[in-house]
Amino acid sequence: MKPIHILCTAFILTLAGFAAQAQDVNVVKFDKLQQLRNSDSDTLYVVNFWATWCGPCIKEMPYFEAVNKQYQNQPVRVILVSMDAKKDLEKVKTFMQRRNIASDVWLLDETDANTWIDKLEPKWSGAIPATILFNNKREQYYFVEKELKQDELQNLVLKFKP
Amino acid sequence: MKKPILPLTYTFCLLLVGVLLAATPANPGYQVGDTATDFKLKNVDGKMVSMADYKDAKGFIVTFTCNTCPYSVAYEDRIIALHNKYAPKGYPVIAINPNSVTVSPRDSYADMQRRAKDKKFPFAYLQDKTQDITKAYGATRTPHLYIVQKQKDGKLKVAYIGTIDDNSHEPAQVQKKYAEAALDELVANKTVSQPNTKAIGCTIKWREA
Repeated sequence: MKPIHILCTAFILTLAGFAAQAQDVNVVKFDKLQQLRNSDSDTLYVVNFWATWCGPCIKEMPYFEAVNKQYQNQPVRVILVSMDAKKDLEKVKTFMQRRNIASDVWLLDETDANTWIDKLEPKWSGAIPATILFNNKREQYYFVEKELKQDELQNLVLKFKP
Repeated sequence: MKKPILPLTYTFCLLLVGVLLAATPANPGYQVGDTATDFKLKNVDGKMVSMADYKDAKGFIVTFTCNTCPYSVAYEDRIIALHNKYAPKGYPVIAINPNSVTVSPRDSYADMQRRAKDKKFPFAYLQDKTQDITKAYGATRTPHLYIVQKQKDGKLKVAYIGTIDDNSHEPAQVQKKYAEAALDELVANKTVSQPNTKAIGCTIKWREA
C-alpha cells in the first residue's frame, strides 16, 4: 500500500502545484485592450507593458506580482501585457511558468504599434516598460514610461485603490 | 520715494522668471519642424564625427540605436539597407549609441567597435557618452529615428521622427515603410506626409544621477 500512498500524495501535490502555477497567456488584439481601458467597473486596473527581452521590465515584474498578491481580495487588478511577438508565445508561457507569475498575462498581437499607441496614450513614445493605472468610475488615470521602483508602485496603488 | 521701485521691480521680475522656469517642463526634445543641433561624437574608427563633415549631404537619418536592445538588433540590417539606399541620394545614416555603459556594459565603445565590424556598418556609429545629444533630440527609445534636412541657410530641420517600418519582428511581412516614405518625399522636395510614427522599443539606459 505504501508506494501507492506515496504516488497518490505525489499526484495530488503535482496537481496542487499546477493549480498554483502561472496563468495561461491570453493572446489579444488591441480592441480588447481598449475595452479594458474603457471599463466602467470600480476597479483599479494596473496595466504594465513588458516583454521577455526587456531587462528593466523583468526587474520590476516582482513588484507587480506583489501588488497582485497583496490586493487579491480587493478591486485591484494587475494585467501584464507582453509586447513579445506572437511567434514567441511559447517563450512567454515558459517565462511565466518558470517565474510562477500569478497576475493576468496578455500578449498583444499587433505588429504596428503606430496604429494603437496614440489611441491608448499619446504621451507614450513606445519605450517599455510603461505602466498605466486607472479607475474610470472614479475618473482616475496615471501613466508612466519608465521602470518603477517597488515603493513608487506601492504608493501609486495605495493612492488610487478604491 | 522713487528709489525702492527699481529694486522691487527687479525682485518681482526675478521671481516671475523663477516661477516661469519652475513651471517649464523638462526639455521634451525636438518636434518636427525644429532645428536640430549638430554634434561632435566619437565614431567607432576613433575619429570625431559631425554632420558638418558631410559637405554634400542633403540631410541625415540620425538613428539612436544600440548593441543590446533586441529591437535595435532586429533592425540592424534594415538600417544598413536604409543607408545604402539613401546615402547616394544625399541622406546617410548616422547611428548614435545613447546608452550609459555603466547601466548597459555591452554598449561599451569596444563592444560598439566589435558590432560595427561584425555587421560591416557602412555608416558612422557614434557614442554619446554624456547623453547630451540624446537629451537635446529627445530620443526615448532604441531604435529612434530623426530624419533632418539641410536648409538653404545651413540649418538642420527635423523632418521626421519615429520608426523604420510597421513590423519589427518580421522584416518579410513589412507593409508600411514609414522612414522610406518620408525619405522619398524629402528626396523629391515634398513635405513629409506622415512625419511622426511610433513603435515599441527599449528604454534608453540613462546614467544614474
